[in-house]
Amino acid sequence: MVPLALSLIPFLAVTLRRFVFTGMGREWPVGEIDAPRPRQNGPLEQGLYIIDPTGLTLVAGELENRADGADPVDRKYRAQRYLCRIVALTGATQIGGGYALDVDTTRFKVRDGYVRRVQDVTNPKCGYEETCFYPAHEEMPKAEQIATALLQLKNNPALFDGWVAQNHVAFKADGQVFTRAQ
Amino acid sequence: MTAKILTFSSHGDTTLLEYDPATADMEEVNRVIAEYEAKTGAQPFDMTTGERIEKVTRRQNEVLMVHPIAGG
Repeated sequence: MVPLALSLIPFLAVTLRRFVFTGMGREWPVGEIDAPRPRQNGPLEQGLYIIDPTGLTLVAGELENRADGADPVDRKYRAQRYLCRIVALTGATQIGGGYALDVDTTRFKVRDGYVRRVQDVTNPKCGYEETCFYPAHEEMPKAEQIATALLQLKNNPALFDGWVAQNHVAFKADGQVFTRAQ
Repeated sequence: MTAKILTFSSHGDTTLLEYDPATADMEEVNRVIAEYEAKTGAQPFDMTTGERIEKVTRRQNEVLMVHPIAGG
């Protein structure tokens, strides 16, 4: 009798385990990643209106100060996607925690809040200059800040000189100084 | 087809304007862009080529208004 009972223990254990874990399966988060959700504009959508007959859909109100209903995770995901697109457009490459961008013989290394310039990447003795940078919208996601710097430097590498020479002076993409009073 | 003008802002990417490039009044599109630039300093870039553009035409489907950057 005892040997029979002992031989049933593994069988019961397997059955019990299957029963219990089948019930839990739906709730286990292992290996599940939330699929990116479509953008939800929320209040933003309510602020849209159409100007006909020009066919324009213009977002009403203050363009700068609108609240976007998208949650921070979604926003961060989209910012990363834009950065990937702009990295590809500018021909930059990811190096460590930053991005290297070559414009002729000049190499810029852009990372979170800092940009470094090596003016002649073909010359191993060439030193580098570095400066902090920040966009007009300081709360912009980091990925979008980097994307902004990459786009601007690719189109106008001389911007770096302005950033180094004049701290806290904002330069537009075309190199002109921008002041709020404009 | 819809074309859009967007920007990176403190709220992440934000669509400023959507229009049908086939029928939209491009003068009006450029007027809105010019107003936005005057207010924020942001300038238009073609998201297909990554290049800054002076004026938006019907060929651009996605234009990014790129905000000024300061060093320091």
